[in-house]
Amino acid sequence: MTNDNKKIDSATLSTHGKLSMFNEGLKSGLANGQKFTALMDELIDTSDGEVLLSAAQKLADFKLDSAYVTFPHQYKNADYYLIFMSRLLSMHQDEKAILNSRAHSESLYHVFDAITDDYTFLYQVVTNDNGGAYYTEQTTGESLFYIHLERRLLRFNSRAFTNLFINKLLLKGTGVDQINSVLATLIAFGHYLRDDFGFNVDFNILDVDNAAKYELREANLNGEVVDKLFVTAAQNNHMLRNSPKGHGAEIELQSGLIVDIFDAGKPGSAKWVLTVRDQGQRVSWFDVLLHFDFMRNWYLANIDALEIKADPLVFA
Amino acid sequence: MEKQNQPDLENQDQPTRELTDSLQQKLDYLTTLRQAITAGDDRLIYELIDGDHYHQALLNEDPNPTRNAQVGLITDVHPAVSHYLSTKLIDYLAHEYPFFYYEETQPGEFQIYFGNWWDRRKFGKLNVLDVKFEFSAEEFNKLQKTFELAHAHKRFNTDAIQKISAASDQLQKLIDAQDDRDAQKDDLRQQLKENGQRNSLFDSGRIKEERQQIIDELSKLADEDEQANNAHATMKDNEAKILTLSKEDTILAYEKQAIENAFKSFENFNERNRSLYVDYLTTLIGKAQVASDDE
Repeated sequence: MTNDNKKIDSATLSTHGKLSMFNEGLKSGLANGQKFTALMDELIDTSDGEVLLSAAQKLADFKLDSAYVTFPHQYKNADYYLIFMSRLLSMHQDEKAILNSRAHSESLYHVFDAITDDYTFLYQVVTNDNGGAYYTEQTTGESLFYIHLERRLLRFNSRAFTNLFINKLLLKGTGVDQINSVLATLIAFGHYLRDDFGFNVDFNILDVDNAAKYELREANLNGEVVDKLFVTAAQNNHMLRNSPKGHGAEIELQSGLIVDIFDAGKPGSAKWVLTVRDQGQRVSWFDVLLHFDFMRNWYLANIDALEIKADPLVFA
Repeated sequence: MEKQNQPDLENQDQPTRELTDSLQQKLDYLTTLRQAITAGDDRLIYELIDGDHYHQALLNEDPNPTRNAQVGLITDVHPAVSHYLSTKLIDYLAHEYPFFYYEETQPGEFQIYFGNWWDRRKFGKLNVLDVKFEFSAEEFNKLQKTFELAHAHKRFNTDAIQKISAASDQLQKLIDAQDDRDAQKDDLRQQLKENGQRNSLFDSGRIKEERQQIIDELSKLADEDEQANNAHATMKDNEAKILTLSKEDTILAYEKQAIENAFKSFENFNERNRSLYVDYLTTLIGKAQVASDDE
């Protein structure tokens, strides 16, 4: 609308008026460019976290081109998320997410040394009103987490982690150490966002907190699924015990490492969950899946019932 | 009270005296029981609630029903007595039978659970007053069978599981053979067509017979198709059945293991169950002894 009005107006303007309007357009376009480069300076050079976040936030929505000034070389908005992530990690001396650019184009992506560079990671910006972006592996399309800079929230996605790191990598021969190296960086990113900027972070399947309750897709879990664990655990020299409190079971995988599966719901509305307890609070359900074959086989064989629920608002 | 009444006793006639004596015995019995409970003397309580059993079992005396003359007085409070006695008894049992767990389903009534594993079985009841396990016959028999089968390196459900697995294998073959069957059916239908075209006046009996054979064969294949179509559902059912049986085997294996850990053998376990009353009461006597020595 605004542009149309201007055009109609300019038709009726004198030559001087037209030139002056053109000039103003250029100036504001250039100023916009200046503003952009100032933000870019901040994004790539600042050592102040808040400045970094604010620059990334603005750049993620930035419209560089204007009616009078367009720039032939540009990065996509999604790329500023990548730069932000790399910068934040490197502020904390973590350089494992390697920022690469494609030849002959301004287009960025992450690879990790620890795993094959067949797997490339970049952000996909949400175009609807919700905003935010997904950190997505390109070949599999698995979105590992969702981030919203302005609302300061981060949501990890159990399904993508399971599909990518277990089904595609672990089960095809990638070592646990290699996988852990990538996970460590992604988890660290979550910690930095939480600790440096007060992000609300749901680590989901990666949460190491003993209090973390991993909610199962089948809230009213079929007892057969637990029976299966009981039988397979016995075959692997572990006893699934009756839960001392409430309805459920627990299994000690090694000394001091206990997985519980129980109904944490109210009478009449079941809510089955898993928890992982260990003294140092260093072990997540995902770690259990990586390290204990029979637990992983059980989880994958019953994934329809057991899949850990991710935030339904961003991972429908 | 008693002293005041004393003089009158002289004047009573025989039946009345017998009556007052009898009542006095009842009072004495109840007083002793009350004191035993107040003093926490569980041994004495056991002697009072079934003296005949106590004397036979612990003192090797002959049966004498008169020892139990008064026990009928307290039948209505049996649940409360049982509840009272359960505390020390269950403490003792927890040590001797570490794999049994008890739930007081109603006052004085104790349900036995075998083990602390997932879906452990209800194994019967604990009779506190008789110091006796009353195992569920069905559950106990399964366990007994488990011990017997162990000699043949089999579990309780090994045969049943094998049978179901074999049935599932058979169904899988039926599914896999679908293409073969389809080819066979085409072949047979062709034969049927040819058969229908042959029209011999002299050979009609043989042709009819041949026709019937082909039809029989086709219907046999149709039956197999039908089975193959239902096979997935049946195999799923079979899987569920195998899970139930495997779970039972796992539970029985844990039960067997628990008994072997505590008693070495099933025979020893049964032996100890039989002597539980004597063993427990002997412990109580021993404790009473120690207590009186200390005084």
